[in-house]
Amino acid sequence: MSGYSVPQSQVGRPTAWWGMTILIASEATLFGTFIGTYYYLRFKTPTWPPGGIPEPKLVVPLVMLAVLVSTTVPMRLAATAARTGRLAATRLLIAVALVVQSGYFAYEVHDFSDQLHRFDITRNAYSSIYYTLLGADHAHVLLGVLFNLWLLGKLARGFTRYRIHAVQAIAWYWLAVNVLTIAVIGTLLSARA
Amino acid sequence: MAIATPPTPAAAERMERLEQIWESRPGILGWLTTTDHKRIGLLYFWTTLALFGAGGAEALLIRTQLAQPNQHVVSPQTFDELFSMHGITMIFFFIIPMTTGAFGNYLLPLLLGARDMAFPRMNALSYWIFLASAIFIYTSLFIGKAPNAGWFNYVPLASKQFNPGHNIDFYCLGIIFNSIASTLTAGQFIVTIFKSRAPGMSLNRMPLFCFAMLAASFGLLFALPALSADTTFLFLDRNVGTHFFDASHGGSALLWQHLFWIFGHPEVYILIVPAFGIATSIIPAFTQRRLVAFPLVAVAELLVVFVGFGVWAHHMYAVGMTTISMIFFAAATAMVVIPSTIQVFAWCMSFITGFARFKTPLLFIAGFIFMFVTGGLTGIMFVAIPFDQQVTDTYFIVAHFHYIIFGAAVFPIFGGMYYWFPKVTGKLYFERPGQISFWIIFVGTNLLFFPMHIVGLLGMTRRVSTYPSGLGWTAYNLAETIGGFVTLAGILLLLGNLFVSYFRGPPAGPDPWHGPTLEWTTSSPPPEYDFAVIPRVTSAYANWDPVDREADRLNLADGLLMLEHGHEQPTVTPVDGRLAEIAQMPHESPWPPVLALALALVFTMLLIGLYGVAGIMGLVCLLALAGWHSQEPPE
Amino acid sequence: MNAPREDRRCLAFLVLAVVPLAGCGGSQNALAPESHQARDIATLFWWMMGGAWVGLGLVVGLLLWSWKRRNRRGFGRDVEGDKPGEKRSWYAVVVLGIVMPIAVISTLFVVSDLFVIKTTQAPASTTTKLTVQVIGHQWWWEVRYPGTTAVTANELHIPARTPVRVEVKTADVIHSFWVPELNRKIDTIPGRSNVVELDADQVGRYRGQCAEFCGLQHAHMAMYVFVDEPSAFRRWLAQQEKPVEAPSSALAERGARLFLDGPCSSCHAIRGTDADGYVGPDLTHVASRATLGALTVSNTPDDLRQWILHSQQAKPGNQMPDFNASGARLDALVAFLEGLK
Ligand code: HEA
Ligand code: HEA
Ligand code: HEC
Ligand code: CUA
Ligand SMILES: [Cu+2]
Repeated sequence: MSGYSVPQSQVGRPTAWWGMTILIASEATLFGTFIGTYYYLRFKTPTWPPGGIPEPKLVVPLVMLAVLVSTTVPMRLAATAARTGRLAATRLLIAVALVVQSGYFAYEVHDFSDQLHRFDITRNAYSSIYYTLLGADHAHVLLGVLFNLWLLGKLARGFTRYRIHAVQAIAWYWLAVNVLTIAVIGTLLSARA
Repeated sequence: MAIATPPTPAAAERMERLEQIWESRPGILGWLTTTDHKRIGLLYFWTTLALFGAGGAEALLIRTQLAQPNQHVVSPQTFDELFSMHGITMIFFFIIPMTTGAFGNYLLPLLLGARDMAFPRMNALSYWIFLASAIFIYTSLFIGKAPNAGWFNYVPLASKQFNPGHNIDFYCLGIIFNSIASTLTAGQFIVTIFKSRAPGMSLNRMPLFCFAMLAASFGLLFALPALSADTTFLFLDRNVGTHFFDASHGGSALLWQHLFWIFGHPEVYILIVPAFGIATSIIPAFTQRRLVAFPLVAVAELLVVFVGFGVWAHHMYAVGMTTISMIFFAAATAMVVIPSTIQVFAWCMSFITGFARFKTPLLFIAGFIFMFVTGGLTGIMFVAIPFDQQVTDTYFIVAHFHYIIFGAAVFPIFGGMYYWFPKVTGKLYFERPGQISFWIIFVGTNLLFFPMHIVGLLGMTRRVSTYPSGLGWTAYNLAETIGGFVTLAGILLLLGNLFVSYFRGPPAGPDPWHGPTLEWTTSSPPPEYDFAVIPRVTSAYANWDPVDREADRLNLADGLLMLEHGHEQPTVTPVDGRLAEIAQMPHESPWPPVLALALALVFTMLLIGLYGVAGIMGLVCLLALAGWHSQEPPE
Repeated sequence: MNAPREDRRCLAFLVLAVVPLAGCGGSQNALAPESHQARDIATLFWWMMGGAWVGLGLVVGLLLWSWKRRNRRGFGRDVEGDKPGEKRSWYAVVVLGIVMPIAVISTLFVVSDLFVIKTTQAPASTTTKLTVQVIGHQWWWEVRYPGTTAVTANELHIPARTPVRVEVKTADVIHSFWVPELNRKIDTIPGRSNVVELDADQVGRYRGQCAEFCGLQHAHMAMYVFVDEPSAFRRWLAQQEKPVEAPSSALAERGARLFLDGPCSSCHAIRGTDADGYVGPDLTHVASRATLGALTVSNTPDDLRQWILHSQQAKPGNQMPDFNASGARLDALVAFLEGLK
């Protein structure tokens, strides 16, 4: 046996998926250290949040979180549609997700600057880690939005194997961002407990 | 044996075609746009060698200042910048990029039987970012604003209040910048190792060098974020006014230390593991036997990095932690020793039960074992918390880590330079001067670093710009300084030997050592496509499997598995190494250097405080990325 | 000091380390212990060093053995399959590489981290007889005796054979308090105070040095610990508690006025006068101290003069500016400060 038969259909994950996994692993570790920092600071501070800062609000962040996480569904569906070669469906699903995600991002930016007016990032260690954590998370949402925009641009000119892999990788990215956001919001809301 | 010479005219024609497909552009432009892992490896090699020279020059200045008590060779400011830059250079800009960037890049695909890395353009990007970050941080030295709070840069000394200049901003940004390059390399290696092996190379048939690279890459991937977070916090504290490390506003100075060492300890194993990989390449070749206890050694290489994530606070025994948490970290430190002892004795047993030929590379490995064990044994002493609390921050520590870093990470680099020199250049080096260079370096480093143990026990603290006479330190310090210059002489002899050999050395042929792994099956220097035929692999010592190599030759004659129709590379299933698909690889791209340049501008703008411009440059980076991805591989 | 034992150890080092150990018994020597803590640590070290030489010897022996069996012929020997004795090599790796280190390190761990550690732990406040506060500054040590008004700098007086609780703090960055002949070191961390015990066996002077890098003059941040007989210690403390006495001469009187009106008083305190600065050391009894500038120069009238004129030369970058005074004014200042016994 000196030759190998090359499988016709894809065996295992594409390399792009592996690349995205590496990015996600590294980002998740970064958020891990941020969250670790949050609790490190928390457990050495008697009252939390300190310095007369109000507790974070509960309802609105949770609703927004639900909105963001719901976009996992169209993203996953888009990945499946891409794999089975349904171009129109892929585009539509990504567009739907993109609209919701952009709305989420716009609201969060507004809310972020609103909060900054109430208590500044330079107030104390709590405000420092609070805004850093939240800001880092929003930056990841923004990156995902840009990914999706780019993807739609690419898909405007049809499918290639490369683009199908890109859809899969980006859907995977969004799943990870949503999980990260749950972790971040959960951490920040734990100040109410 | 090698398959450099085409057996039939048809084969010659197919190789010709491969040559054309994989050829890079000539001249400077070719180097700028290259995605060839060998060229990138060489770029890394020359850059890190130059940086080693810089770090070494800093070290020798330090040693000159400390040769005698109460000297004024350099001012205290300069001294602080020197040892900070020395540590930073050697760790971030020499060992890591030398072992992963240079050795890893050049050799990994060759040992895996692949034609390139999994993401060739990303590979190029990592080099250009690395180069830019090195220029960035060395700019600080030339404008007299180099980092000056040591390589671990403790706050609050590094805070704005006590360090108002740009020195520490250079540190924060330079380190983040550099760690982007390392992260790219690490991710690249992991995917390459899992996806780009020669079909048939299941994980248990993978050479130990690749296990070592895998371990180092995992280490980098999961350790660097802690450092990035830490330096980001510090940058924000200094420039935005946050209070992460400010005890008077609810922050904590110890937070910096925890985050730094959560990175820093895994980092020291990341430094050493590729050296293990080099050792486990050289030992089989020069003992002509398979390494004793191969599976144990492979597991140990991975385990040392894994356990290394749980020991960080052993650098902090003097900060006043509770006894119980110190004991926990001491226990973890005790555990991390086991994978190292396994390896040491596996090497020793291979030496004994093989047919050891003490050529220069093996001499360096023997020296490496000696130095590693010496440094490791002082490392074990730090398991004894009271003793560590006594000697921490003295020259005893400096002795420990130079034995391990110089002896155990740099010796294999030197050995590897000799070992793979014939592969990379096609020439043999001169043996006699090679052996002499080993002995000079060996004697020099021991003279340089051994007295540091004693002088540390005599109470000499580290990072002192000078010291008084009368404490019994002078003679030792003088000996160390002499040892430093002896080491320099040895290194110069080594480099000189290789330099002359490059022009005058006898031709090496594809396989001068009867080496164990796949790089020795191809010609020296390897062609741009690495292997004319994707090699057949049935063991971890593929070059010692004559049946398989015969099969390659037949394939070459028959034109099987040559993939000469495009820029192609097989990918495999991650564990058992079955062929998954024939991937089209990207080739030559101008975008990596462009993106690195844009990124350099982002960091420069952040440094001088023009955050708006930095944002705009960030957008440029995104545009460059989009441009990069506009070029799709052919279907 | 028990010199013969010292010498034996030097000899041991000499033999084992090949490098002669100059200056044995130097004054900052972790291997010349003068308290039970430091002695426990040193003993621990000697045992570990013995073990380390054995371990290193083992590995070197194996390497030399392989050198004896080295191959002088060409390459390309039979590399097929397992060698005879492969199993034995495996056993050797398992025994030497797993079993042996587990045994050795567990022993070390238990002895040092469960037993020896008790002697170097932060003392409970009930077990000590005296508390001293040491506050690290860039680049000098402030020393306070809680419950008294005594404040001094860069020297610590303690009674012999008495467990003393040393509370360390910092006024700025992280320093590390270390007197190797008496005990292990302890860092000064912003926002908290750490404790270490000193319990010296005998009267003497022990050198200590800041061990954590703290900036430009980290190298010149040393101190002395004076261990006195308890009665002498009490006398010393009573003396230090006293506020300053009226200057004894006209020259000193002029110096005092200069000091109080000049820049000096904004940084230095002298108890009993209006000078209450906190940037520099308390100078109430500066003349009683052995050195100036945290052991940078000795404390003679001449050195004092030079220090006031050019402290930036002796200790570049330290926080005290050079004071450009004409000779007469300087004479007055020195006369005043020399009177502050
Ligand atoms: C390549 C880098 C490298 C490696 C591999 C190691 C390996 C080890 N290190 Fe080291 N270390 C550093 C680099 C490294 N270190 C650096 C750079 C610092 C200082 C940082 C700074 O402060 O600037 C440091 C500091 C440092 C400290 C902190 C000291 C202090 O600041 O107070 C400690 C404490 O536990 C420690 C322990 C160890 C241990 C237990 C090992 C073990 O992994 C060693 C294992 C090896 C062996 C054990 C050898 C094999 C021995 C035999 C085969 C003989 C038989 C053995 C037995 C019977 C046990 N190291
Ligand atoms: C890889 C790591 C590494 C290496 C190899 C070295 C190598 C050397 N180090 Fe190291 N050192 C560190 C890592 C390393 N060091 C670290 C992390 C610290 C702690 C810093 C801190 O406290 O923050 C430190 C601290 C440190 C100190 C303590 C400083 C202090 O506490 O005040 C000293 C003092 O003697 C010292 C000396 C030396 C010497 C003499 C060498 C010599 O072995 C160097 C020999 C090398 C050369 C002489 C260069 C030769 C190269 C060429 C000639 C290449 C030429 C090529 C071209 C031009 C293309 N080092
Ligand atoms: C800006 C602050 C400042 C001013 C003004 C100042 N000093 Fe100082 N002084 C210091 C500091 C800080 C030190 C400790 C320096 C060191 O050791 O690093 C010191 C140390 C000293 C010492 C040595 C004390 C010791 O125990 O080591 C003397 C004596 C002294 N100053 C005298 C003076 C006199 C006299 C003047 C006025 C002419 C003066 N100082 C003005 C800050 C000041
Ligand atoms: Cu204070 Cu070093
Ligand atoms: Cu460590």
